[in-house]
Amino acid sequence: MLSLFFALRVMKKRIISITVILCVLLCSFSACTKNKEKFSTYTMDYFDTITTITGYEKTQKAFDAVAEGIISELGEYHRLYSIYHRFDGTENLCTINELVDGEHRTVTVDRRIIDMLLYAKEMYYKTDGIMNIAMGSVLSLWHDYRTIGKDSPSEASLPPMEKLQEASLHCDIEKMVIDEENNTVTLTDPAMTLDVGAIAKGYAVECIAKGLEEKGITGYVLNVGGNVRAIGTKGDGTPWTVGIENPDGGEYLSYLGLADQSLVTSGSYQRFYYVDGKPYHHIIHPDTLMPSEGFLSVSVVCKDSGLADALSTALFCLSLEEGMELIKEFSEAEAMWVSDDGTKTYTDGWKNFEN
Amino acid sequence: MNNKKSAKKHSLRNDIILITAVILAAVIGLIYLNFFRSPGDSVTVTVDGEVYGVYPLSRDICEDIYSGSNNENHNRFVIKDGKAFMETATCPDGICVGHKSIFRNGESIVCLPNRVVITVTLGEKTDSPDVII
Repeated sequence: MLSLFFALRVMKKRIISITVILCVLLCSFSACTKNKEKFSTYTMDYFDTITTITGYEKTQKAFDAVAEGIISELGEYHRLYSIYHRFDGTENLCTINELVDGEHRTVTVDRRIIDMLLYAKEMYYKTDGIMNIAMGSVLSLWHDYRTIGKDSPSEASLPPMEKLQEASLHCDIEKMVIDEENNTVTLTDPAMTLDVGAIAKGYAVECIAKGLEEKGITGYVLNVGGNVRAIGTKGDGTPWTVGIENPDGGEYLSYLGLADQSLVTSGSYQRFYYVDGKPYHHIIHPDTLMPSEGFLSVSVVCKDSGLADALSTALFCLSLEEGMELIKEFSEAEAMWVSDDGTKTYTDGWKNFEN
Repeated sequence: MNNKKSAKKHSLRNDIILITAVILAAVIGLIYLNFFRSPGDSVTVTVDGEVYGVYPLSRDICEDIYSGSNNENHNRFVIKDGKAFMETATCPDGICVGHKSIFRNGESIVCLPNRVVITVTLGEKTDSPDVII
């Protein structure tokens, strides 16, 4: 009887101790699975490109909630900044471009359009007029000829220089008048239109990223068609790694680590069409009115995605020497130029971001 | 009294064996989950966000992808010698067809007009960037 009692006591102790150990193990495993995991999703609906959202969250549900918020905001900016499509109930840049009100065109728009246009005008001055959103008349000619050339390659042709020169007479950014108090935009030249392709996407990405930062959301990276913006670091605290693809194949042009930084690449391979077997890309020089020549791509790293976007376009249009001079004005920005023959040139600080 | 001591000692030894076995099983399980469960090298094709198919990178194939509401869009992608590329496409811009062939982890080719994405996933852990632009 006594021995049975002892045996039971020993067994009871044993069961308790094993249960405790199993509990501890289970807890530690579940703690493991509660570590933040990497999730990713994409949308092809906005800014005429593919947007990838990657982030670290504890659950798919938590990630989906953040990603949905980002995508819905991206959609709003897409509708506001669209120059080719109008959307019901939204006065956007297309409204500004299409409204003809006698000599003047005045439209009351969302504050987010006003802020972007003000920033674009600031960048116009800072880049000595190279990044000019008032070039819509010239760029739309290229856009139309490119669309025809892509749809029916046999009919592909270049916009005639006379037409381009005529259009270039209507690219004066001072004719875009912004009334900050009343949120109105007036184009005082009836033949001018706005094309914000060089800045709107980057500006929108920056606004969305700042919104996330204000909410305390971190551990995300957005890639809106080559406009990369890191919000914080990866889940383990290390920087997000970004590879800049070599369009001709081979190794990455550069392999960077980004935390709270933006990277934008402007490349001749991103959008183009062929005329008589020769490719013509979409980055048009404001003086020659033709696609800028000399570089395969120019990449810019800095905190602000809008700045990176505008700067990469401007640098693409300048010579290497001019570009080196320009970027000195932006102490926080670093750049990499890849010339047509594959030669790479960097600003001094670029290597600080290279992995 | 001696018997009791020896029984206690005995049970302690059994406990240790049991606990060691449990921990060992757990560790082996974790290692298995982390290293051996990952899929082989493959190419994932998605159309409009939905997975269309997963194809091993090791076998040469030529696959036709039909998309659009009436299957009016067509992309033909090819896997050859461990690399994938878009051979033909009905889209007007031709960017996907002009894209270099892909084989590194995470690389992708996007056909925006037809909403087709092909992405490389390597089974073994490779040092691939989080973002490729």
